[in-house]
Amino acid sequence: MKSLRRDFSSDPHTANVTSKIFVRSTKSGKVQKIVRELYLRQDIPCSSKLCSTCPSVAPADANGNIAPFVLSEHPAGTTAFPRGHYLVPDTNALLNGMDLFEHTGAFYDVIILQTVLEELKNQSLPLYNRLLALIKTDEKRFYLFFNEFRMETHVRRGPNESINDRNDRAVRAVAKWYTEHLRAAAKKGKKEKTVPTIVVITDDKDSLRKAKEENVTALSLTDYVSGLENSDRLLDMINESREQRETKGTRGELFYPEYYTMSKIMTGLRAGTLHQGVFNVSPYNYLEGSVNVAAFDKPLLILGRDNSNRAISGDVVVIEVLPKDQWKSPSTKIVDEEAVSKNDNPDAEDNEAVVTERERKALQEEVRQAHGKGTEGRPQPTAKVVGVIKRNWRQYVGHVDSGSTGSQASSGRRQQNVFVLPMDKRVPKIRVRTRQASELLGQRILVTIDAWDRDSRYPTGHFIRSLGELETKGAETEALLLEYDVQYKPFPKAVLDCLPAEGHDWKVPASKEDIGWKGRRDLRDLLICSIDPPGCQDIDDALHTRPLPNGNFEVGVHIADVSHFVKPNNAMDLEASLRGTTVYLVDKRIDMLPHLLGTDLCSLKPYVERYAFSVLWEMTPNAEVVSTDFTKSVIRSREAFSYEQAQMRIDDPSKKDELTESMRTLLRFSKILRQKRMDAGALNLASPEVRIETDNDEVGDPLTDVKTKAMLATNSLVEEFMLHANITVAAKIYSTFSQTAMLRRHATPPPQNFEELINQLSKKRDMRLDVSSSRALADSLDQCVDAKNPFFNTLVRILATRCMTSAEYFCAGAHAESEFRHYGLASPIYTHFTSPIRRYADLLVHRQLASAIGYEGEDGRAVIEGVMTRNRLEDICRNINYRHRNAQHAGRASIEYYVGQALKARGEKLSANGVDGGIEEEGYVMRVFENGVVVFVPRFGIEGVVRLEDFVLKGDSALRSVEERRELVVRRESEFDNEEYTLQVSDKGHSDQGMSVELFQRVNVNVSSVKEESGRGAGKRRVRVLILGTQN
Amino acid sequence: MAAQRQASSASQTPHISPAELSYLHTSLALPGSPIRPDGRSAAQFRPLTAETDILPGTNGSARVGFADGTQAIVGVKAEVEKTVISADALKLPQQTQEEYAGNNDNVGNQGSGSGHGSWVQMSIEIPGFRDDDALPVFLSEMMREPLVESVSSEGSGNGEMAGGLKGRLVINKRWHWRLYIDVLLLSQPQSYPLPLLSLTTHLALLSTKLPKLKSQGEEDPFFDDDWDAAEYLYPRSTSTTSPTSSQQVRPPVTLLVVSVGENIIFDPDREEIAVADTVLAVSITRDSDSDSLKLVSIRTIDPPSRLTQPGVPNSENVTTLGSTAAAEEAAILNPSTGEEEVPGVWRPRRGGVKRSTVARVVKLVLEKGGVGEEVLEGLEGVQVG
Repeated sequence: MKSLRRDFSSDPHTANVTSKIFVRSTKSGKVQKIVRELYLRQDIPCSSKLCSTCPSVAPADANGNIAPFVLSEHPAGTTAFPRGHYLVPDTNALLNGMDLFEHTGAFYDVIILQTVLEELKNQSLPLYNRLLALIKTDEKRFYLFFNEFRMETHVRRGPNESINDRNDRAVRAVAKWYTEHLRAAAKKGKKEKTVPTIVVITDDKDSLRKAKEENVTALSLTDYVSGLENSDRLLDMINESREQRETKGTRGELFYPEYYTMSKIMTGLRAGTLHQGVFNVSPYNYLEGSVNVAAFDKPLLILGRDNSNRAISGDVVVIEVLPKDQWKSPSTKIVDEEAVSKNDNPDAEDNEAVVTERERKALQEEVRQAHGKGTEGRPQPTAKVVGVIKRNWRQYVGHVDSGSTGSQASSGRRQQNVFVLPMDKRVPKIRVRTRQASELLGQRILVTIDAWDRDSRYPTGHFIRSLGELETKGAETEALLLEYDVQYKPFPKAVLDCLPAEGHDWKVPASKEDIGWKGRRDLRDLLICSIDPPGCQDIDDALHTRPLPNGNFEVGVHIADVSHFVKPNNAMDLEASLRGTTVYLVDKRIDMLPHLLGTDLCSLKPYVERYAFSVLWEMTPNAEVVSTDFTKSVIRSREAFSYEQAQMRIDDPSKKDELTESMRTLLRFSKILRQKRMDAGALNLASPEVRIETDNDEVGDPLTDVKTKAMLATNSLVEEFMLHANITVAAKIYSTFSQTAMLRRHATPPPQNFEELINQLSKKRDMRLDVSSSRALADSLDQCVDAKNPFFNTLVRILATRCMTSAEYFCAGAHAESEFRHYGLASPIYTHFTSPIRRYADLLVHRQLASAIGYEGEDGRAVIEGVMTRNRLEDICRNINYRHRNAQHAGRASIEYYVGQALKARGEKLSANGVDGGIEEEGYVMRVFENGVVVFVPRFGIEGVVRLEDFVLKGDSALRSVEERRELVVRRESEFDNEEYTLQVSDKGHSDQGMSVELFQRVNVNVSSVKEESGRGAGKRRVRVLILGTQN
Repeated sequence: MAAQRQASSASQTPHISPAELSYLHTSLALPGSPIRPDGRSAAQFRPLTAETDILPGTNGSARVGFADGTQAIVGVKAEVEKTVISADALKLPQQTQEEYAGNNDNVGNQGSGSGHGSWVQMSIEIPGFRDDDALPVFLSEMMREPLVESVSSEGSGNGEMAGGLKGRLVINKRWHWRLYIDVLLLSQPQSYPLPLLSLTTHLALLSTKLPKLKSQGEEDPFFDDDWDAAEYLYPRSTSTTSPTSSQQVRPPVTLLVVSVGENIIFDPDREEIAVADTVLAVSITRDSDSDSLKLVSIRTIDPPSRLTQPGVPNSENVTTLGSTAAAEEAAILNPSTGEEEVPGVWRPRRGGVKRSTVARVVKLVLEKGGVGEEVLEGLEGVQVG
C-alpha cells in the first residue's frame, strides 16, 4: 500500500496565511478548540519618524489619512546608546517595571508588541489597562506594533517550543527587523548616522543569552535602569518580588497554606462546598475579616492571618467553611496592627511566624468570648480563604514605619527593607526594599503591592513616588484623593477643546430666531430665584411659583441645561462619565466638568440669561399636582440666595414684594409635600455631618470653623421640590425607556441587619425598633427619645442608617419594577435629575428626558442622544456608583483630617507646658469592646476609639502625653459584659475607684490632637479622645 | 430504490455482459496466480492519497482518496460531558453478572477502565442517501462497534489505553469525553465504500488529539489552553528508538476481501467485486502490546454477482438450437455449487463460503508480515500533524 501526500510548497499563498490555535474552556465546562486564521500583511508601519518607506505603504483611513507616526526622530540617548534608542520590552519587563514605564523622567519611545500586550492581558488585567492608557497618551511615545500580523515579524511556533520561548523569539525577531528596516530606510534618506539602537528589555536569562547569539541588543531591566540618571530612585520602582524569590531559593519557610488549584476551586464552587465573595476587613480589628457570600444571609467570619491566608481587603476570594468546633463569635476587642505587631523586623525573616505570640494571645481572648454564654456569645460560622479569584490590589498611600528602618538608616544608599504602614488600616503593612530609606522617613509615599508569597509574613511591594512631607496640606490632600481613587489631574486639552469657543463671553442668543432657541420656551419673565449654601458657585437649580387665574399655582423647578454643552461621546463627556461626580473636600473641589461650564455657562447665576431644563407643575393650593410639563427653556434668575438669606427674607414681615411672596408659597407647599412624604413612610435619617467654613482668618480659635450642619426651613424647601422633580422625571423617563432609563434605588434592608441594634435598644433602653416596613421604622425611630438626652434620637438614627444598604444607580432593565423602590424616600421610583453640573447620572437623565419629550436640539440629534444600550448604561452605573461612594468617603475623610488639623492648631496656640490641653466636649458611647469603647463626638462629627489607658480615672491627671498614658495600660484592668454592653475600667487593685461606661451613655470627653513620638508608627498624628467622666 | 438496493449489496454492478463477467471470473479464478484487470498481484493494494489534519477546527481529521476517484473525509470532534450516574448504575449489575458467570476473573480494572459505548457517535453521509437510510446506518454501526468493543485484553501494560477507546474517554468518575465522528463520502459510491470509510476513520482517529488535562482526580476537569500540549487519543510512541514503536493500540480497520474460485484477492475493484464468489469485510485491530494483530469481526457481504443475469449456453439458446457447436459443449459439474456449468458461460454464484476459504483469508490478514500489518504500517506512515 502506498500513500501520497498533497504538496503545498508550490503554492505561493501559503506563506501569508497561518492560524492560531488554542483551547478555550467555557463557563459551562465545555472545552473548545479554537482556530483563528491569520492573514499576514506587509503594510503595518514601523511608525518611526525616521522611516521614509512606511508612510507610503501604511494603510489609510476613509479620508486617506494615515495614523500619525509615534516614535521620535531623535530619541533620547544614554551613555550606552549615544545615538538614541527605541525600547522593546518583553512581558516580564512590563510586569516588573510598569511604574518605571509610566515615569516621566525616562522610558520614552517604546515599541509595545502585540504579543507582549496579549500576554500581559492574560497575566494582569490592571497592568494591561495601564499600558493601554500609556499607549493612548502622546507624550510618552509608546507605539503598539502589531507584529503578529506583519509577515516579516510573525513567528511560527516550532515543534516542542514552549509558548514563552516562542514569544521571546518574537520579541527578538521584531528587534532584528526594526534594526534592519530602519537602517535601510536611513540609507535611503542618507541619515545613516542617526539610526537609533533597538534595545530589548528582558529579565529572562535565556532570552538574554539568545539575544547575544543573534546579535540583538538586550539588557535586563535593572541593567538598563542603572545606566540612567537618577537610577537609585528608579531602581526602587522595580517590582522586587521576583528577584527576591530567586535569591531566596528554597531556604524560605512557608508560612501560609497553599491555595487550592483552579480546578479544585471550580469544582467546589459548582458543588457549593466552597464560596466566593469579597474579603472585607473589620475597621476595628485587622485580624477579623468577613465575606458575604450568596449562599448565606449573614457574612462568614474569617479570623486570624492563617485563615485569611494572604487575602487583602477588597480581594475576591474563595472560602471554605471551617468545622463547627472552630466557630467563634465576632471579636469584641479592638485590635490595631500597629499596637500588636510593633516589634517586627522587616529584614529578619527567619524567625518570622505568621501568628506572633501577641496575636495568638489576642485570638485566645476571642475564643474565650465565643465560649461564653447567651445569644450574643453564640459562635458564628467561620471560614478560611482557600483561593483568590481576583486581586484588587491598588496603589496604597502610607508612610515608612520609622521603627523599621533600623540603625543604618543614615548610612547612605544601601538597599534595605522597610515597612510601609498604609493609611487604610485594613491593609497590612507592606515590606518595601528601598535605597532611600532615610529620605522617605516622614513622607507620605505611594507604594504598590507586588506579591504575597507563602514564605513571607507580609506582602512585598515597591515604592512609586513621594507625595511630600507628612501633614502638609498638599501631600495629605493628594493622599486622600489617591486613596479614594479620585481623578484629580487637570482636564486634558482634548476635553477643554470641547468647550464653547466664546468662553466666558458665551451668551444666550439675543434673537429668538437663532437656532439655539429651537424648542426652547421663553421663561425669562418668571420670578425665578435660587437658594443654595453660602458661597455656592455651581448653581444647579432654581425655583419659581406664580398664581394661575383658576386659583391654582404654577410651580417650576429649573435645572442647569448641561446636556446642551456636553454632547455625548466627545472627550468631555467621556471624562465626565469617568469622574462620575464632583468631589467636595474641605478646601478643594474636584470638578466633574471644566470650570467654565460648572461655575459660569451652566450655572444658573442671577441676573443673566441661561439655558435651563424646566419641570413645571400646576398645583392646587393643597399641593396636589394637576398637570406636569417638561420643557427646555431660557430663564433669568432674579436672585441667588443663601439658605440664611432666604430664611431671613421670608421671615421678614416687611417684605411684601412678589418674589418674597412666591418664596413663601413655595415654603408652604414644601411643608405639605414633606408631610405627604413622611406619611408615606419616608425615613428621616441622620449622618454625623459637620461643615467647615474655611474663609476664616488666622486669629481666634480655629475650631470655630467646625460647625454642625444647621437645618433651616429653606434647606427643606429646596430639598422637597428637588425630590419632587426627581420623582416626576423618573416616572417620565421610565415610561419612555422601560429598559434603559437611568434610575436610582434604595433596596429594602434585610431585617437581620438590624438585629444587633434592636437587641441593644431593648436591652439598654427598653425600646423597640420595628423594621417590618420603612413606615414602621420611621415611626419607631420617632419613639426612640430620651428626655434627658436630646441627642439620643439622632444617635439611634445614625446607627440605624449604618444598618441599611446604600442607594445605587441602576438601569431600569436590571431589576423588576417592584425592586425600583427607594426605601429611604418611600418612593416607588426615583432618579437624579437636579444636579447635572456635579453628577453624571443627572446629565444622562437630562438626555433621556429631552429624548422622551421629543426635544430635537440645535442639530436635531437630541432625540437619539438619550438612547443608549443597556450594557453601556450598566457599565456607567457601576462606575458612578463606585465614584459616588468614594466621593462621599473622601469628603468625610477630608473633614476628619481638617478637624484634626484644627485641633492641632488650637493645641499649639493654647498648649500649656508643651502638653496639649485638648478641649472638653460631650460624647456618646456608640460601641463597647472588651478593651475600649467607641465614642461619637457630635460637635466635631468624629468617632474616637477610647482604649483602657485613655479613661481618666480618679486621681489621674488628664493632661498627659501619649507615652505616659501608654504606660498606664499595664495597670489597667477591665470587666466587660457582652450581654449588657457595659465596660468597667479600673486600676489594678482599685476596682472600687473604677469607672463604668455603657452603650448610648453620654460621657464627658477631652479631645485633642496628638502625635506618636516614638515606637512604631512614629510621626503619625491622630485625634485622641479621653473619657473624663460619665453623665446620667 | 434501485440504486439503494444495489449499493446495499456489495456495489453498483457495472453494466457488464454475461460474457465479460465469465471472462473476468475465469481469469481471476486461474489457480495459483490470478490475472487482475489492472495487473496487480492478489494482495496488492491500489495506491491511495491520504492526509491528516485537513480540518483545523476538529480534534482530528483525515482525507483519503482511492484510485478509482472515490474520496472521503472524516472529522473527529470531542466534547466534555458529565457522566450520568444511571449509566454507571446500569453498568454495574452487568459486570457483576459477568463475574458471576465466571467469564471475567479480573475485577481490578473496572474502576478506571469502564466506559460506555454510546460515548462514541458516528454519522455517515453518502451522497444520494438520507441519513436514516439503511446503508449509512448499517455502515456506521459496522464501524462503530469494533471501535468501542475492541477492549484490550486484561493485564495490558499500556496504562493509557486500559479498557480500549472507551476507557480512554473516561476523565474521572463524573466526567468523560464524547466523540463525534463525522464521515463524509465526497463521491458517488463507486464500489462498496466500507474500506475507504474505515481507512479514513482510522487515520482521523490516529490524528485526534484531546486537550491536556490539568486537574487531578475527581475535580471538575480543567484543561491546558495550549493546543500544542494536547495529547493524542491513541498515544504515539515518542521515542524512535523503541522497537515496539508500532506495537501500540490502534483503532480497527476494515478490509474488503473477495474470493474467486480458489484465489483470495485484496482491495478488489468494482469489476472484481462483480464476479466474486464471496465478499468478506474483515476488521482487524491491534489492541495491546502483544505483537500480533487481532481479528475483530468478519462479515460476509452479499456478492453482487448473485443479481446478475446468467449467460445462456448455446445448447439452450433458441437461435443456436440445433447447431452442431451446441452439442460439443460439455457440461461440467461445478464442485463448489454442485451445479452444472458450461465453461465460458456466465452463471451467477450461489451458495455459501467454504470454511477453508475463510480460514485462509484470516491467515493471510493476520500472519506476521501479512496484509494486515502492511496496511497498518502504511497508515501509520501517513504523516500525522
